[in-house]
Amino acid sequence: MKFVIKQLPFICLLLLSRLATAQVSVFACEPEWAALAQEIGGKHVSASSATTALQDVHHIQARPSLIAKLRKADLLVCTGAGLESGWLPVLQRRANNPAVQTGAVGYLETTQYVKLLDRPAQLDRAAGDVHAQGNPHIQLDPRNYPPIAKAMAGRLAEIDPQHAGDYEAGLTNFLQRWASAMDGWQVQAQPLQGVQIVVHHNSWRYLAGWLGLQRVGTLEPKPGVPPTSAHLSKLLQQLQEHDAAAIIYSSYQNARAAEWLSQRTGLPVVELPATVGGNAQAEDLFSLFSDILQRLLAVTS
Amino acid sequence: MTLEGLDPVILGPAMAAGLLVLATHVPLGREVLRRGIIFIDLAIAQIAGVGVLAAHVMHLSDNAPAIQLIAYGAALVGAILLYGCERNWPDVQEAIIGSTFVVAASVGVLLLSGNPQAGEHLKELLIGQILWVDYHQLLHVAVIYIVVLLLWQLLRGKQSRLLFYLLFAVTVTASVQLVGVYLVFASLIIPALAVRHCVTGATWLGMLTGTAGYAAGLLVSALLDLPSGAVIVLSLTVLAVVVSRACASRGRRDTECRT
Repeated sequence: MKFVIKQLPFICLLLLSRLATAQVSVFACEPEWAALAQEIGGKHVSASSATTALQDVHHIQARPSLIAKLRKADLLVCTGAGLESGWLPVLQRRANNPAVQTGAVGYLETTQYVKLLDRPAQLDRAAGDVHAQGNPHIQLDPRNYPPIAKAMAGRLAEIDPQHAGDYEAGLTNFLQRWASAMDGWQVQAQPLQGVQIVVHHNSWRYLAGWLGLQRVGTLEPKPGVPPTSAHLSKLLQQLQEHDAAAIIYSSYQNARAAEWLSQRTGLPVVELPATVGGNAQAEDLFSLFSDILQRLLAVTS
Repeated sequence: MTLEGLDPVILGPAMAAGLLVLATHVPLGREVLRRGIIFIDLAIAQIAGVGVLAAHVMHLSDNAPAIQLIAYGAALVGAILLYGCERNWPDVQEAIIGSTFVVAASVGVLLLSGNPQAGEHLKELLIGQILWVDYHQLLHVAVIYIVVLLLWQLLRGKQSRLLFYLLFAVTVTASVQLVGVYLVFASLIIPALAVRHCVTGATWLGMLTGTAGYAAGLLVSALLDLPSGAVIVLSLTVLAVVVSRACASRGRRDTECRT
């Protein structure tokens, strides 16, 4: 308590400086949405992410700052489709901030703006970690970003009408740069078309869809459940029939399963960043996709 | 260093949860320590978890009261079994408790292989997080604890071992969901360890140690922005070492005076 009293002038100063700049405070569930908000909002936005790229977003450790940040947030941006269902509802309840409750202008669910893959025709609980609304790992298809960016710019303008023009300009600028980057990636990715890969689990679905990669095996068919020996022997058999190029896993996953398979098949293992910050190269959304392409091209050529 | 987490709205419910947990766990923990059955809380929590998994296999996932009922039921059945073991094989009780833990955990993995979604619920049950607690949740736990403490005080003289096991099962099933397995273990054992040499007022001193540990842990986790549960375990340990040293040296002085 003494500490707080001593720091009181400092706290007041901090609050005043916040008022002076009056930035829109964006609380993102995943780093990719914080990065996108920063691209669009620029200096009017201060964005932070609840999770890092090296973390399994299904589970997070509760820290006091998470609740504190959400209490002050103007815009909450999450993936939705069940990805954060383990912790976001509790966090929203604890933060008790009406601006960012589900249904409010300050709550943006990005999966609402794109078409989800792997939507189960019927929900079968035995099939594993099925998400009823479809596969939520949408951040790895660059084609998903423009509709989400538009929605986000709209929300920012609604929350901070004073700078609506700047958000509009930020959006246009981002869409232009994104479109030209995508053209470049498309050319670069030509050799990846039809390349066969083994994945750790279904989080690579969107990347494969975009690049035309062909999934010929999954290491962990049911996420959270270690593969059975029958599954592994079937997988080895499958790989003898196919001409797979690489085993892919993301930087937050354990490399052991991928390395086990690599030792038995001689296939190279590729560690890819699952989102912004997943490795030293993936600093923003643009470098994220450039880096993924570079790593894939390095093992397939 | 950050000050934004220092908010009574954020830390208040967590501290209240800590006080509630300590109120029951310090007296029960001293008993656990006396009997040398340290891992009984892990075993009971795991058995309650298997009960929850079984409930999911029986497609009761959406019925929260039923799940709670099954969790408490499974914990009570486990407690009765462990009590039976203590009566028949008291010399290997700790070994049986340890084995019960791994058997229950393995049964959980097997149940999970047919129904991976239940894993989420098992994690929720075993890895409760103290910061997510709100006052509303604390209410029903408080009611359970008051009943437990009353029965404990009333029937203590009767030396009923079965009663100890049953009360323990109910308490741990409630607290694990509130603050998670690590904090339950820490609240049970660490304050009890700290005050084991204290001659008078040991239980109260244990609660005081625990309270200071929770308060310091929450403050540090808010200031340094670290996961609260883990920081509380560490601060409890540091305080316990200090208290037990103080108690030990005082105890020695007392004996010296007497001789």
